[in-house]
Amino acid sequence: MTHRRRYTPWLLVGPAVLWLAVFNLWPSVNTVILSFTSARPLGGGRFTGLANYHRALGDEQLADALVNSLVYLLVCLPLLTVLPLLLALLVERKLPGITFFRTAFYTPVIASAVVVALIWGWVLDDRGLVNGLAREVGAITHPVPFLTDRWLLLLSAIALTVWKGLGYYMVIYLSALGNVGRELHEAAAVDGASAVRRFWHVTLPGVRATMLLVSVLISVSALRVFSELYVLSDGTGGPGGRDMSVVMLIQMYSRGFTGHLGYASALSLLLFAVTVGPMLVLLWIDRKAA
Amino acid sequence: MRRYWARLATAAVATAALAGCGLGDTSSSASGDTAAVTGEVKGKVTFQTWALKPKFTAYVQGVIDAFEKKYPGVHVEWLDQPGDGYAEKVLSQAAGGTLPDVVNLPPDFALPLVKESMLLDVGKADPHLAEEYVAGGVDAYRFAGHDGAYGYPWYLNTDVNYWNTELLGRYGLDPKHLPTSLDELIAQARTLKQKSGGAAYLMSRKPGLGDLADAGVPIMAADGRSFAFNTPKAAALLDTYRDAFKEGLLPQDVLTDKYAGNAKLFTAGTAAWTTGGANYIGGLATDNPSLAPKTVASPAFGTPPLYVQGLSVARAGKNLPAAVALARWVTSADNQAAFAHLTSIFPSTKASGSDPFFARSDGTNAGDAKVIAFRSLADAKMLQPVQVDGAMSDIVNQQIALAISGGATSQQALDTAVARCNQLLKD
Repeated sequence: MTHRRRYTPWLLVGPAVLWLAVFNLWPSVNTVILSFTSARPLGGGRFTGLANYHRALGDEQLADALVNSLVYLLVCLPLLTVLPLLLALLVERKLPGITFFRTAFYTPVIASAVVVALIWGWVLDDRGLVNGLAREVGAITHPVPFLTDRWLLLLSAIALTVWKGLGYYMVIYLSALGNVGRELHEAAAVDGASAVRRFWHVTLPGVRATMLLVSVLISVSALRVFSELYVLSDGTGGPGGRDMSVVMLIQMYSRGFTGHLGYASALSLLLFAVTVGPMLVLLWIDRKAA
Repeated sequence: MRRYWARLATAAVATAALAGCGLGDTSSSASGDTAAVTGEVKGKVTFQTWALKPKFTAYVQGVIDAFEKKYPGVHVEWLDQPGDGYAEKVLSQAAGGTLPDVVNLPPDFALPLVKESMLLDVGKADPHLAEEYVAGGVDAYRFAGHDGAYGYPWYLNTDVNYWNTELLGRYGLDPKHLPTSLDELIAQARTLKQKSGGAAYLMSRKPGLGDLADAGVPIMAADGRSFAFNTPKAAALLDTYRDAFKEGLLPQDVLTDKYAGNAKLFTAGTAAWTTGGANYIGGLATDNPSLAPKTVASPAFGTPPLYVQGLSVARAGKNLPAAVALARWVTSADNQAAFAHLTSIFPSTKASGSDPFFARSDGTNAGDAKVIAFRSLADAKMLQPVQVDGAMSDIVNQQIALAISGGATSQQALDTAVARCNQLLKD
């Protein structure tokens, strides 16, 4: 005899729902509400309507941050979608010592982003390794301002992101490549397809879903970049704050006793909207291609 | 029916959300502390310090034990918070209604709490405050728009200049003729750069609001409601720094504070000048023991900055007489003098001004620095207004860096900084 209680399923999902409600849903709802206020950490502030959004439209620092995010996305997306796939193709071969290379490519992933950015900061500053070597060999007389020029600082951060992300996405591609049928490659080879044609017509279709996943992950993390720019600029966002990301702006406005929570919340929601956009575009492209 | 429940749920969420974010009138009001705090000193009081353990555990515990001995009915619970994240800790305590009865707050931490009427006006609670403590210390806890004084000044400090005599001598400068103004500093920086071939620097920090204030630039309007440091005088000062930067007299990384100001470059033996508190040489002896004996101190350029630490009393405390008594006890002349004998800080009580310990050097360079700092305190002022919060500070630094790098004219950068800071002040 079975005894069914109607509330049993709710008891089972209850803890998870409660967790989501408290730590995901409620903060999200609260962020929306705060974005219409002049809230501070102490005291709730007052309702200000769309004032924070109106202010964001005229915020030059936000415009700079969005440009930085766009450049980050446009450079990182192709590099981190294609290069890890090529790396995965290289290291998936069963060659003596290949495990060493797999490990070497993956090592930057396990290092803390902050630690890596600190090391890159030492390498790139005006008395760092790169400038020191370039000066020693007589290539430069004045140090290259990797960390103080707006675009060089941004490109340095992008290079760091790409270097650190290669191994991570390589592993994802490796698992996808393992699922591409070996018999398909053999059949194509028997039919006389070259390695390049096999790559285009067998490998790529086989990992297309993974490429989409990787693209979405890269897009989101590129738009939400923080650690690399923060540490390389020592939290300043470079001269004029022109190398700030949107997350850095949110951090700047929300921290401390007198954090401007209302404006920071409005920026958070704008970042959310900006982040969702490329994801929808990528999903649309995937659906069209399917 | 389903639509009814959906509407009800929406209304409930909205109500809870609005209640949760605390919307409503939170305008600050006067504290309403109109009389001296009197009553029996007894009960439990919590006392929060900032990063004094373990170095000063014995001293603080001794002060507490003596207080409990004097007032047998009192039990003091001492909480010491780590150095990092103290602002966040106090913020969470204030927001959660668990602010300790007596809490160490520098003036810029105290102001937001005063705005929310969370601190006791100790000027009214203790009528002898102004008589016993130095004016600069008490004034640091008086805030525009809020009557009263909201903290007992505890200990004071200021900055003095420190010079690497070895670097100066090696690159053609005379340690006996140290710069006493910005112009002299730039002239000597030029000499040092030429003689060292760019391997060493004299200057290694960009100016801040304190430098503008020191140059006579008003940081805020007279009513304290808006920033006003975008003056031609301020622009001229930034132009001077921009020219020095262009000439290569400052390292490029000064634009992003990559080395946390000039102190780390000084410690590394790459910069010949830095500024620091009276106890700087003590720390240097740990970080670079060979450099410490070659370092000499001189008075800061212009008006020395005043750094104040104080003890505030939570207005909602259950044992206000005991809390006020404890704050007064810890900051008393005797207890402050004992503290100042342990490390290079200076008491904020008028009675300590005549203590020969502070005015007499033991002949070491650290002792000389202590005496210079002590004498400088007479002229020291808080150069940066307490209204400047973290975001404003970032914005000012960013714009000053932009001006010095030549990315904008000094006037444009200052105008941008003032406009953005005023926007934040208005929020």
